[in-house]
Amino acid sequence: MRPITLWRYEARRTGWAAVLGPPLAVALGIAAALAYPEPSDTTTARILLGGLEMAVPLAAAVVCSTLIGQDPAREVQLTVPTPYRITLLRRMIVVLSWTAAVAVLAAAVLIVTGWWARWPQNHGAFAGQLTWLAPMLGLSGLGFAAGAVLRSPAAAGAIVTTVWAIQQFFADAVQEHLPGRLLYLFATTRGAATDDWLANRLVLVGAGAVLVALALILLGRPERLISEEDE
Amino acid sequence: MRIEISGLTKTYRGGVHAIDGLDLDIPTGMFGLLGANGAGKTTLMRILAGIVRPSAGRVVVGGHDIASGPGRTAVQRELGYLPQDLGVYPDLTARQFLDYVALLKGMDDRSARRRRVGELLEVVALTEYADRRLRGFSGGMRQRVGIAQALLADPRLLIVDEPTAGLDPEERIRFRTLLSQFAGRRTVLLSTHIVDDIGQTCREAAVLAKGRMIFRGTVEELTRRARGRVWEVVTDGPAPAEGTVVSALPHDDGMRYRVVARTAPSAQARPLDPSLEDGYLAVTADQAAAGREPASR
Amino acid sequence: MTAFGASLRYEFRMQVRKRSVWIVPALTLVLFVLIGGSLLRDLFDPGERPLDPRTGVVGLAVQLHALLAIGFGCLLADRLVRDDRLGVAPILDATPASPAARLLGKYLGAAAATAVPIALAYFGFAAAYAIDIGQPVAMAWALAAFAVVIVPGLLLVAAFALAVPMIMPAPLFRVLFVGYWLWGNIVSPEMMPTLARTLFHPLGGYPLDVLFDFHGIDGEDTWAGPVAGATLNVLRPDPTPALALLSIVLLLIVSAAALAGGHVLRARRIR
Repeated sequence: MRPITLWRYEARRTGWAAVLGPPLAVALGIAAALAYPEPSDTTTARILLGGLEMAVPLAAAVVCSTLIGQDPAREVQLTVPTPYRITLLRRMIVVLSWTAAVAVLAAAVLIVTGWWARWPQNHGAFAGQLTWLAPMLGLSGLGFAAGAVLRSPAAAGAIVTTVWAIQQFFADAVQEHLPGRLLYLFATTRGAATDDWLANRLVLVGAGAVLVALALILLGRPERLISEEDE
Repeated sequence: MRIEISGLTKTYRGGVHAIDGLDLDIPTGMFGLLGANGAGKTTLMRILAGIVRPSAGRVVVGGHDIASGPGRTAVQRELGYLPQDLGVYPDLTARQFLDYVALLKGMDDRSARRRRVGELLEVVALTEYADRRLRGFSGGMRQRVGIAQALLADPRLLIVDEPTAGLDPEERIRFRTLLSQFAGRRTVLLSTHIVDDIGQTCREAAVLAKGRMIFRGTVEELTRRARGRVWEVVTDGPAPAEGTVVSALPHDDGMRYRVVARTAPSAQARPLDPSLEDGYLAVTADQAAAGREPASR
Repeated sequence: MTAFGASLRYEFRMQVRKRSVWIVPALTLVLFVLIGGSLLRDLFDPGERPLDPRTGVVGLAVQLHALLAIGFGCLLADRLVRDDRLGVAPILDATPASPAARLLGKYLGAAAATAVPIALAYFGFAAAYAIDIGQPVAMAWALAAFAVVIVPGLLLVAAFALAVPMIMPAPLFRVLFVGYWLWGNIVSPEMMPTLARTLFHPLGGYPLDVLFDFHGIDGEDTWAGPVAGATLNVLRPDPTPALALLSIVLLLIVSAAALAGGHVLRARRIR
């Protein structure tokens, strides 16, 4: 186990967007629920859970997509015994841990205040945490892998936001077939088939893990990181 | 820590040969690496530091073959590296940056790490500025931070690429002395454009051109390569057309040129004793004249 | 003018040869085709495509604009702050060139370069469609839709993408931007206060409704005007051609204001 000081330094490297993004995402979800002109319990609860399922994972994933590509000290990083890909993974863990802390707190408030239970497809207080956890891991894995392939935070961020937006704009078309349903990010609040929910969540978690693993394989070639970036 | 390089080739995408069949043995102690921009020095250093993989050939550092992952990691445990363009984290102070790099180098013991960071800040004369953010540091100050981070883990192999760029004359001399003292039983590979830095610190050196070695020997041997080829020409006319002009100094009688040329550039040319810089220019001029044929030592 | 021209030319060149400017829209199109239900496939299916070529190409403009503008905005989000990061800013600031002219050149040059793949994709699909149905007039409608609907929308996105990262980290801008794009374009006005269907609709609801008589692929939607029970209906007057033009002008004014804001922030930072 490496000293906590190292984790603190890595946390600083993730930047302000990592710190502000998740709470801002929760705040936007609450603002959207408050803005709903005809509050009905179910719809308000859906918007609140939607904030956790849609906005929070997006915030984490966009930050994860920026972890690779603009490290000013990468040449030194590549020559130290701590492999740079482990350092990048550590930064990703910091981002996801902070996002998870914010999401758990927000979920706890929703559970305590009763809003969680008011959305019929909430899947309980425990397994229901996959509402935010699965899309966060899936989309963040995509962002990290896109960063490893493209080494351009702008491009990787664009891919994450585009995938997220396609699933928003074309929710019905995306869920027409089983593979699309299994990879749908918003199955709790916009899911087409409730029965697929658990499988969908597990597939998203698995996809995230596979994408991170692929990214780590790519990052094992330091030359890719030192050669010219797509500035 | 001995470095053995044989048949080393590095070809980048697009077919650019940065290193082209290099054979080189680097012994313990200070070793200088000279060459023009694009000669392949930085690529060679990056290969030795484990950042860039060779296209062909073999590199063994202290008995570890860097072609293997464990070999590279073993070398990196013994390595201090100062890149040509050192990037730092501007939001960290000098002390924090060094503390962070020390952690990455596996120095997990907090008190030992703090002690070492403090010592090195003292060595590079930055104690006074240790708790200021790097954002406000001048180029020379950043370079000193870079030198300190390279020395953190008391490396057995120190690779420094253009280390004195941006340093003022006093800092430069101070750094050269530091490197020489540090070398002892360690290996220090010093790459630079500043020939004088090599002359003041290294016993042996190599000169690279277009990815090939065109000289390998002692500093004295390199200087001797210009023996009988250094001339002084004083003229109020145009600069000598033949040879390489090393310097031009205004004088009462006109301009006083120092020229490296195989034959006297004019009838009035006066022979001079060669310097290391003259030797370097003579070697590179020979290489240019020989075209693509590499010279041996 | 020289500073503007030079900035425009080189920002265009630098941006257009970035791999990501091509990869991101290409991947978006691949995903778009894979999911099905999009006009990219339906336009070439005689059983699915609209009968009127104008509806076909305007619908295509709406779908591509809605989707590709997201990558467009994200790719532009670092263009202004990039000069500082790369250390080029002090060199450029030391030239006698007017900073405002340079900014305008950067804005138009980078935006135009990032829009090149979008234009190629749009006109490529529109041309294939025109050939497939044997109606060249579809290309004329495609040109009109691109100029009147897509260009103002992209100019708005580009202005904010350059300016906003001056006050917040670019990743945060990307999150907020995609949220805004969804909220300001797609969210139903009955659901919450939104700019969708107002004069500030970035997808161009008023021009779509009035100038192109576009009411969705099935001809059953409306794109502008008041919605019963919705807030912000004051910004949703009944659509007329004059209001359609006003809507375009408003988008351009907001773009100019965002860009001016970015300029002021940058000037204050280097002072």
